[in-house]
Amino acid sequence: MNEVIQNSTNKQTHTYGESLWSKALRKLRKDTIGIVAFFVVLIYLGIAVGVCLGFFGSSWDRFVTDGYSGMSRQHIFGTNLNGQDIFERALYGTKTAFQIGFIVAIVATFLGGILGAVAGFFSGKIPDVLITWFYGVIDSIPFYLFVAALAVALADNPYAMHIAMISTFWTSTCRIIRGEVIKIKHLEYIEAARAIGVSYTKIIFKHIIPNTIHILLVQSTILFVTAIKSEVILSFLNLGVKEGVSWGLMLAEAAQEVPAGNFNNFIAASGFMLILVLAFNTFSDALQDALDPKKVS
Amino acid sequence: MQKKLFLLFIFCTISTSAFAIKVFKYSVEGTPTSLDPVQSSTKYQNRIVSAICDTLYDYKYLKIPYELKPNLAAALPKISKDGLTYTIQIKKGVFFSDDPAFKGGKGRELTAEDFVYSIKRHFDPKTLPRGAWLWQGRIKGIDDWKTAGSDYKKQVEGLKAIDKYTIQISLVKPYPQLVYTLTKGYSAIVAKEVVEKYGPEISIHPVGSGPWVLGSFNNQKAVLLKNKKYREEIFDLKNEGYDEKIHGFTGIKSLQGKKLPIVDQIEINFMENFSMRWISFTKGSEIQFGFIPEQQFNNVIASRNPLSLNKEYAQKYYFLPQTEFAFRYLNFNMDDPKIGYNKDKELEKKNKALRIAIHKAWDWPQYIKTFFDDLGEAYPGIISPGIDGYDPTLSKEYITHDPEGAKKILKDNGWTAANLPDITYSMVSDIRQNQMYDQFRGWLITIGYPSSKIKKQTFASFGDYSKAVKSRKTMTIAMAWGLDFPDSENVLQLFYGPNSSPGSNNSNYNNPEYNALYEKASTMQPSKERSEIYKKMHKLLLEDSVTIAGFSRTDLWVWHKNVILYPVENVLGNYFKYVDIK
Amino acid sequence: MDTFIYSLRKFFQSIPLIFGVTLISFVLMVYFGPDKTYDLLGKNPTQQQIEEVHHQLGYDQPFLTRYFIFFKEIITFDFGYSDSTGEKVSSIFARTIPVSLAVQLPILISGNIISIILALIAAYFRGKMIDKSVMFVAVIGMSVSYLIIVILFQIIFCSSYGLNIFPVQGWEVESFTSYLKYVTVPVLASVFLSIGYNTRFYRAVIVEEITKDHVRTARAFGTHPLKLLFKNILKNSLIPIMTRIIITLPFIIIAGSIVLESYFSIPGIGLVLYDAILTGDLPIIKAAVTWTAMIYVLSLILTDIMYTVVDPRVTLK
Repeated sequence: MNEVIQNSTNKQTHTYGESLWSKALRKLRKDTIGIVAFFVVLIYLGIAVGVCLGFFGSSWDRFVTDGYSGMSRQHIFGTNLNGQDIFERALYGTKTAFQIGFIVAIVATFLGGILGAVAGFFSGKIPDVLITWFYGVIDSIPFYLFVAALAVALADNPYAMHIAMISTFWTSTCRIIRGEVIKIKHLEYIEAARAIGVSYTKIIFKHIIPNTIHILLVQSTILFVTAIKSEVILSFLNLGVKEGVSWGLMLAEAAQEVPAGNFNNFIAASGFMLILVLAFNTFSDALQDALDPKKVS
Repeated sequence: MQKKLFLLFIFCTISTSAFAIKVFKYSVEGTPTSLDPVQSSTKYQNRIVSAICDTLYDYKYLKIPYELKPNLAAALPKISKDGLTYTIQIKKGVFFSDDPAFKGGKGRELTAEDFVYSIKRHFDPKTLPRGAWLWQGRIKGIDDWKTAGSDYKKQVEGLKAIDKYTIQISLVKPYPQLVYTLTKGYSAIVAKEVVEKYGPEISIHPVGSGPWVLGSFNNQKAVLLKNKKYREEIFDLKNEGYDEKIHGFTGIKSLQGKKLPIVDQIEINFMENFSMRWISFTKGSEIQFGFIPEQQFNNVIASRNPLSLNKEYAQKYYFLPQTEFAFRYLNFNMDDPKIGYNKDKELEKKNKALRIAIHKAWDWPQYIKTFFDDLGEAYPGIISPGIDGYDPTLSKEYITHDPEGAKKILKDNGWTAANLPDITYSMVSDIRQNQMYDQFRGWLITIGYPSSKIKKQTFASFGDYSKAVKSRKTMTIAMAWGLDFPDSENVLQLFYGPNSSPGSNNSNYNNPEYNALYEKASTMQPSKERSEIYKKMHKLLLEDSVTIAGFSRTDLWVWHKNVILYPVENVLGNYFKYVDIK
Repeated sequence: MDTFIYSLRKFFQSIPLIFGVTLISFVLMVYFGPDKTYDLLGKNPTQQQIEEVHHQLGYDQPFLTRYFIFFKEIITFDFGYSDSTGEKVSSIFARTIPVSLAVQLPILISGNIISIILALIAAYFRGKMIDKSVMFVAVIGMSVSYLIIVILFQIIFCSSYGLNIFPVQGWEVESFTSYLKYVTVPVLASVFLSIGYNTRFYRAVIVEEITKDHVRTARAFGTHPLKLLFKNILKNSLIPIMTRIIITLPFIIIAGSIVLESYFSIPGIGLVLYDAILTGDLPIIKAAVTWTAMIYVLSLILTDIMYTVVDPRVTLK
């Protein structure tokens, strides 16, 4: 995450907003809670990377005990029905969560950003009408129905859930960016670029989108959290993750076990998830506060 | 005002106690979608349908092994010597329950013609019937009747009402299982007027002459009300196969001489979540019948052998462990050249070795321990103990977990980690199936299967899974088969070549020797000779290792002590009318 | 009258939207959705029977014909019978929508009222400890998964590990007391969650109002805080608040809440619809999609009209 901010800061230098970014960084530094939250997210990211590299979590599918076992020194959160270590599964779930969060957040923000910029730039003209019509349509289909339909349609595809989320989540970003672009497209230098005949593609990608990066950044953090939370519901509805294990799958198992008084899966998955989402939301807030010069808090 | 309310309150209490009705709050683990007899394919549908619409025959309530008894029929059928003609008398003076569909709203008398009509509906594509397979190619002229456009005015040669109370069925070839099919919800009798009035909505509005009428029905619950016009039926202990030693604890003895149905109302709660079902059961005020889910097993069960409840529970509930009338299996799709038949005979042989190796990797005790409370035992093959054709001498090697043996077979047949094919486990996406896949994966890893070659293929719904299976697109098929009647023919047909997908033979096993034996046995009356043929067929199946089977779950039924019943929770059971509440 | 003409025109303008929704969902369902046929077969079907079922469901007709039939159904508002239960779609809706509303409306109303009150408190004490704690609770509400809350509330209120005072699940509503019995836990769980998002949103709206000049001035002149609250702050914040509420309505009416209904076994529309999607019960999906889109459009119009009522400066054009 740090890297992302740094990068975008560098890119920004030649356009209008150096002050925005350095000011944001300054504001962010003062926000202790935001910093703490950021480090919590970093720890999680570390776990996810560690799982990817095989440092831990790789034995999530091994049968280490014969059926359920309670919490013990060897198995911090005990083991599940198949005798698999719940802690290992929760660690592996971190990787799954980040995978979902990153893919969905990045692609959906990207999609929403571009479409929003195009719509805003051509506001009132055909591309705008088409795009607003399209997100209007998607917004008026209930989310879970749309996702379920897509998940069924893409039955066997391991990314069915990701695709479903992306195709619904981009609309909010698109809406916001469109509004922002309508506001900034009359800025002098863009009008000037148009006047000297710079191509539309170039204007959109070189001048308009870079000026919305701060919004896209905030949007992507929001979508990241939304994606992780949606995964849980979708896995509960059997529409979720297909490969490996996720917190959603663990909670779906827990939904069966909890009434019987077996809380291990529930505690592990909800604990892991709650802390990450809480931290991410707090960080996202701090980011918004830092990046929005007008925001009154 | 206060006074008035008080009086109202008193009145209410009096009226409820004076008119207290007996309600049995029952629960099942599946939700029926349609209550149209021609669509009653699941046991959940079957049970409600056959409670509302009468069938000609039924099983004796308590008798094991299962025995038939006349229900709406006056007596067991008269069968001609060649086994081709069945003549059935039905009881006189049986009326449909009242419904606006009938003239004047009063149910008319049920006749032989109604039975003929009800069976014909299975051969009318417009009703979306599911039971035609029981009779097609067997009842004379019925398939032609369908080809000719399913015109109800036209007669079917082999399905006639000779007079108002006599039915005659003529067969193309002997079909000893015919009477069994006449106990099923599929053959339950509906009136033409009702079908015509409600059209497709007969599925939520069935009307029959059975002991119950439908009070309400949605995807959470069905309510059955006592049919006040139900024909005279008196409970007789002896006739129902009562045995003091087995059934004594239930209090069923007190039912002797009672007019059926006994309680006024049955509430059937559809509860797919086992834990919730248990909580609801133990509340006391909610459902009165349920089972012990595996998560509760250790809390509730005091001892394993014999099974008994903890004191706390034993005081409140009756308990009965019972083996389900179904079996679980994992079939290989023989049409898949990677695991089954192959043009390359050498590879076909290797495939067989692979199947045997996977068979040996399968760990029944572990499977039963993880998913079925460690209750019951696997048996070799698909014929369970207690039904015709069961062979106690079959080798236990078919159900023995033998990873070393599996490794050896793989090695001897030239399979290596490099050349083993991808194994795909197909399943409906849900938590339980996922856990089963995890386990299967674990076993394969222990026989040296590379974990990257073990895959799962998930389907969002059973319909989609079923479609893939029926179009032969899955490599393995993990399912369960509930027996339709107590005859091994019903399980052996699962591997009969001509029944291949989309038929019931989802392994697409096609062995000429097996097929010939099946054809021979299927027209035979029960006999020692037939049992021997069954055993022979069964052996072929096991040797070819087309299926990893089998296991029948032990259900741990529990019910409140104020309820008098004996659970018959399979497709043969329809015991609501015998239930009493103390 | 103006309003009426405006609404009518707005409605016709949104026909492309309704058209788009129906088309996209129909393409999704017809080309990619599950094949209902295989749910309707017996245990030992033949290829011929499969084709017969196909024919009965109309799957063998060309796409355009099927879409045309759908169009006719939209215009006549008659979607026929469910493919799985055979029940009339309209009677399924009539049976299940009231149940969903009986659960969702209390959530909507109490969730919003509580959030507005919390938001007011937080905004009033902006920057103080109370504000921070309210916002912290809100962030937790935002961060907890619906499923976790539902499971947790069930443990607390419905199981012997907790208070055990409410039924675990079900819906046997005969009187107001039995209604309360079944509705309480689902409502509590959802309200808890909705407070998270709503409070933050409303607080932001209210803070914006409070910091406006006219409010400051009024405050400086010593206007009674209550009067200030109702006349200056709430009235102006009403637009964004009502917009937010109205826009969620169509999804509440038609989609219900799948998770809530499946977890608590509430026989509402959400569950029916979810099953319909998974099994490919087209008549129900078609009806649901159409109704949702229509109500969505109606609520958009409603918010527009409301703007003019609340704020006379806005005119309908």
